[in-house]
Amino acid sequence: MRRLLVVLALVVTGCAPVPSGAPPIGGGTPVPPRPAEAVELTAPPSTAGVPSESCDPTASLRPTGPLPPPGQMPAGSTMARIQQRGRLIAGVDQNTYLMGFRNPFSGELEGFDVDLVREVARAIFGDPGAIQFTVVTSEQRVPTLERGEVDIVVRTMTATCERWRKVNFSTVYLQAGQRVLVPSNSDVTDIDGLGGKRVCATKGSSSLANVATRPTKPVPVAVAHWTDCLVMLQQGQVDAISTDDTILAGFAAQDPYTKVVGPQFAAEPYGMAFPKADEDFVRFVNALLERLRADGTWTRLHQRWLGDPPVPPVAVYRD
Amino acid sequence: MLVEAQRNRGALRRVTGLARSTPGRLSLVALLLIVVSLLVGAVTAWSVQRRSDALEALADRSEPLAFAAQEVYRAMADADATASSAFLSGGVESAALRARYEADVAKAAAALSAATSEITRSPELTRALSTLSGQLPVYTGLVETARAHNRQGNPVGAAYLREASTLMRTRLLPAARELYGVETGNVVRDLEDAGSLPWLEFLLGVLALVVLVLAQRYLTRKTNRVLNPGLVVATALTAISLLWVLVASLLVVHNASASKNEATVVDLLARARIATLTARGDETLTLVARGSGATYEAEYVEADRALDDLLGRLRLVNGTPPVVEAVEHHARWQQAHREIRAADEAGDFTTAVALALGQDARGAATAFDALDSDLVDAIGTARAELTDAIGRARAGLGGTVPAVVVLALLAAAASVFGLWQRLKEYR
Repeated sequence: MRRLLVVLALVVTGCAPVPSGAPPIGGGTPVPPRPAEAVELTAPPSTAGVPSESCDPTASLRPTGPLPPPGQMPAGSTMARIQQRGRLIAGVDQNTYLMGFRNPFSGELEGFDVDLVREVARAIFGDPGAIQFTVVTSEQRVPTLERGEVDIVVRTMTATCERWRKVNFSTVYLQAGQRVLVPSNSDVTDIDGLGGKRVCATKGSSSLANVATRPTKPVPVAVAHWTDCLVMLQQGQVDAISTDDTILAGFAAQDPYTKVVGPQFAAEPYGMAFPKADEDFVRFVNALLERLRADGTWTRLHQRWLGDPPVPPVAVYRD
Repeated sequence: MLVEAQRNRGALRRVTGLARSTPGRLSLVALLLIVVSLLVGAVTAWSVQRRSDALEALADRSEPLAFAAQEVYRAMADADATASSAFLSGGVESAALRARYEADVAKAAAALSAATSEITRSPELTRALSTLSGQLPVYTGLVETARAHNRQGNPVGAAYLREASTLMRTRLLPAARELYGVETGNVVRDLEDAGSLPWLEFLLGVLALVVLVLAQRYLTRKTNRVLNPGLVVATALTAISLLWVLVASLLVVHNASASKNEATVVDLLARARIATLTARGDETLTLVARGSGATYEAEYVEADRALDDLLGRLRLVNGTPPVVEAVEHHARWQQAHREIRAADEAGDFTTAVALALGQDARGAATAFDALDSDLVDAIGTARAELTDAIGRARAGLGGTVPAVVVLALLAAAASVFGLWQRLKEYR
């Protein structure tokens, strides 16, 4: 009897091993890093799906006359107020290669958009350096103008009827069109080959709205800055980037293992944007743009940043 | 079964029978004294050992681990601030900033491996530690990618740096903060364990003395001798043991409370240093964002307020010269920061960057470096005082456990000897 108990006790204790208290090693599933504020959209952004109203977004306000000489802005005008202040406050980008970007060596802002801002400053002050640059994200362009924090936004901004209700645009200074950038080994040939795949664009951009409303239903991924898209493409977190060919050209220049494919599937006419109240400034800048197109400055700037220049976009006015 | 019960009853009868005769009672008293002396000795020794273990855990594990955790946090926050400064300065980063970043990464990795060595002690930290060791290489990878792009003039480098900074701020630093919080909590807990008042030791010692005195009185009544030499010796030995334990324990309690003050100072200093680094990172990133950095500036204001509060509290509890200087340098930095913001908001970006990064005596970089080195000095001093206090506490307990055991054995032997003298008279 007692021997049996001993055997039983041995069996019972033998069956219940004492586990180690040490925790498991973990780290089984790597968590890839993501750019700040990157989100995969499940529903189209609020700006998407706004029906194109009966308006021509490319038509701007007609200049009232020839440009006043630099430093002698008409009294009471918006330009006189800016001249009084001593500097033009301009909203630009520092993340879009060739359009508005920060030169990593000098730390200076450069690009086609930035050079146009310098032309505006030159027209007001006679000094292309009298500028306070403020970096704005795609999403912040309209709110910044509405709050009156900047005089002008020159930041790869497409003139749309929806935006015209909140801000004013100049005449078109660059005719861009939306295309697709994919890794060079991808067999995608256009936007419609990206159904169900992740496609990156910035928050608040018309590109994002265009991607979200495609009938083939690509999955839009929204980020804060354009370069965040290139980071996500290089890290394999998105399958493609879709935006204006001007911006895509900047990406392709930074990464030889990418290619721009497909036709332009949405026209993106760029305009400089102004607060809704500053109509005189819009007319002033339109007069300046007339001159830049005519005297070859536009062609020179295009050659410098974007390559062989086409014919400058023709100004359209709504008076 | 029946046989067993009979046997038990027999034993009981023998003991009660023993209690009826005087020699029998004397034997029982001797037995009681042996049991009480040994039991009290054993429990007291165990209690002292527990206190000593708590001190050992404190000196060998929790305090070094808390320091390692603080280093992890500090090095990572500094790496992030340095990487953004290097970016803001433009071009290829300076050798000094690069060296500082590399030192931070090396320090973070080394401190992390120290912090991970005792993972079983705080199993709740598993997640935080695996985040830290898993994401640190990812972070450095992103920074190096950013560098490679910067060197080729690709603006995407800035985006990689932003991603790295986001990773640091949303995953690594919160995990480091959790690690630091738990390890500092362990220090406080061990200090409390070591510094508890020695009530148990006191009560046990008094119990042993009372039993000895009662036994003495019993003997005085039974025999005509006033004092039994054996019991007197046993009582003296027990009293010595009690005194020894009480003095040693109270010394530990005293040193532990001093250590607790030092630990509070070290904690305040460490948090002040981390707030300093956070504020510096935010100051730089506000400029990097160039007009879209309002959230960074808000975070700077928050970190700066925390720093102000921490320095104020430090000044009250620890008015040493480095702390006083730190307060001064902080005020200078705040002044420089106001100038930076004023210049940036007035559109003078170049002046703002020069004020933030330049080696001008009025600039933010100089004030920040001075503040940081004040805090390093103060942390070094406070930590040395903390480990000293812990060391003194440990020294106080040295040899107490064997002494308690030996004294208990001797007291038991003396009791038996004393009673044996009386028992012999009944032979």
